[in-house]
Amino acid sequence: MTQVVLFNVLNGLIVGAFYALMALGLSLILNLSGVINFAHGGFLALGAYLAYSMAPYLGFWGGLVIAPFLTAFLGILVERVLIRRLYGRDPLYSLLLTFGFALIFQDVFKYVWGASSVPYQIPGWLGSPLSTSLFFLTGYRVFMVLIVALAVGALFLILGYTRLGIRIRAGTLDLDTVSVLGVNVRVLRNLNFGLGIYLAGLAGVLAAGLLGLSPTIGDQLIMPSFVAIIVGGLGSLPGTLAGGLLIGVAAGLTAVYFPTAQEAVIYVMMALVLLVRPHGLFGDAGRH
Amino acid sequence: MAGLQGNGIQRRTVLKAGVAVGALQIAAPYIVKAQGEQSLKIGVDNPLTGIYTALGTNENTGMQLAAEQANAKGGILGRKIELVIEDSTSDKADVAVQKARKLIQSDKVDFLIGNVNSSMAIAISQVAGELKTPHIVPGGHADVITGTSCQWTSFRVCNTGAMQGNAMAKPLVGIGKKIYIIAQDYAFGHSLADGLTKGAQAAGGTIIGTDFFPLGTTDYSATLIKARGANPDVLVDLAAGDDGINSLKQAVQFGIDKQVHLAGMQQELEVLEGLPPEARVGTWLFEWYWNQPSSVPGVADFVAAIRKKTNKVPTARTWFGYAALWSFVLAANNAKSIEGVKVCHALEGLKLPPEVACQPGEPFYRAEDHQLVPAVFVGHAQAKGASDPEDLFVVDQVEQGSTFMPPTSQTNCKLNYPT
Repeated sequence: MTQVVLFNVLNGLIVGAFYALMALGLSLILNLSGVINFAHGGFLALGAYLAYSMAPYLGFWGGLVIAPFLTAFLGILVERVLIRRLYGRDPLYSLLLTFGFALIFQDVFKYVWGASSVPYQIPGWLGSPLSTSLFFLTGYRVFMVLIVALAVGALFLILGYTRLGIRIRAGTLDLDTVSVLGVNVRVLRNLNFGLGIYLAGLAGVLAAGLLGLSPTIGDQLIMPSFVAIIVGGLGSLPGTLAGGLLIGVAAGLTAVYFPTAQEAVIYVMMALVLLVRPHGLFGDAGRH
Repeated sequence: MAGLQGNGIQRRTVLKAGVAVGALQIAAPYIVKAQGEQSLKIGVDNPLTGIYTALGTNENTGMQLAAEQANAKGGILGRKIELVIEDSTSDKADVAVQKARKLIQSDKVDFLIGNVNSSMAIAISQVAGELKTPHIVPGGHADVITGTSCQWTSFRVCNTGAMQGNAMAKPLVGIGKKIYIIAQDYAFGHSLADGLTKGAQAAGGTIIGTDFFPLGTTDYSATLIKARGANPDVLVDLAAGDDGINSLKQAVQFGIDKQVHLAGMQQELEVLEGLPPEARVGTWLFEWYWNQPSSVPGVADFVAAIRKKTNKVPTARTWFGYAALWSFVLAANNAKSIEGVKVCHALEGLKLPPEVACQPGEPFYRAEDHQLVPAVFVGHAQAKGASDPEDLFVVDQVEQGSTFMPPTSQTNCKLNYPT
């Protein structure tokens, strides 16, 4: 029994890392721009579909590298043309816009790639277990954790040591002062959005290796990201990272004892956090 | 003056009357047409969004082909069939029910077809029963639809869990006696699991474990870890749609197919197409398959017609929709009426002709519970067809309905026709 528990906790960490990747992108956008990006799942799916279409020409690795950049580019366009106009207004407007975008994305995917799932392939040597006893530790899942670690590491380096990153962090605290100090806030928000969408696109390519690639792949994965942000705390990126890992492990543990509740448990956790510590485990008290 | 006015009024009245009649012609042309030329509306309440989009869309394609073919032959009692299509969503039962009511009460459809989702099929069959509208379920599998929840208005094309359990029991137990089942936690999953449990035990096998996971689960590690730990001979995966793809993809990544025989009951071409080639493994049951020997009448024409329409082969879902619509056409034409009770009585015992059945044997609707008695195709998946990239399943044997239908005493359906 302890073996099963251990397996599931380990696996929970792997899945949690994935949730964290998605949640970080969402959190970046939310913190700086105050936009709840309901289309995040759509961008995730777009990254996956682009990688699928590029696979015959560039292979799995080419798709992995290029698809997130293409997705980020589209994200930058969307922000520049559509979302930017709604910053001054009630947050409900941008929520409605991104929600509408999520629906548009689904239909575009159906139109271009079909309503059925398409067979996305990962290299054979990745898609097999590393050992016979720990059979659920496939090369691909370990690879996924490595990529997530790299991406998260790179993100924190950017935020900590580059001008862009420092400005983003400052902007999260007080955007007006940053603007007064001469930073082009429009470009800052634009690039920040692009950064968040890059993470979504990357998450999409990774997800397509584990799941069937269908127009709804983003919807299935978007809710845990929101929960991760709430559990970890709004406004805190390390909090979001911890939140993702936490709900992954919680789902893994629950799967051992109450398998039918493994999806529900993350919402139970969210409810508990909201009741006991509403600003999240690592969030700053007093933030909206 | 009076005379002139009199003439003017007369002429103007005539002119006004003439304009009014002319306007009436444009505004309400139905006055001119005879009743018989009005189209006969058939409502379709199937998922066009969400996880069952592909399945619902394929069923609708089959219905559209059937409607076109039937209209070319005169439609229903001389009236052209018009399909009124609504999106039931894949999981919002309240929307499905609301659409069903809208189709029947507002669009005034004479017949209703739907739904892929078993729970929603049950819900709309209750609406159809209440509103006395003949209703066919093409692809909702839960047993109770032609069992304890049966309605005199509702008929079903696809299989039940009990039928599949009986049909697959011997083939599965023949592979291995210790069977572990994983299934989706809703009406459909439970139905299939129950059906297989009863069938396998009767065939001498043992179900060493049954695990239900939530619909829409993305990560199957926990489920598969547990299943693998139980050391079965056969791991039966009853998940359908995207869950089927995800669970199989991950099972193969874990190498489980190399240690345990992967199998299941109903499998669909949509799922096999969505899997990478290395994951197209296992022993399955197909309710209908496109690649049949040329000796089976009807198949080649049907496959060609669908290929022309969509550039893809028909799946079982396409055939469900096709058979459902044709069933209404045949029943109404046989009954020479579109009245509910007459059409439903005409559907009871209706044998599908070869060009509609597209399979060996003569499928017919059983009068006691309105369930179609078909053939099924048992076989194994293959990574790639030798002759056709869409040939992903090899049929090892065809079983006829008489060998696996549960007796009507077991289905517990009581049809309450209005007196």
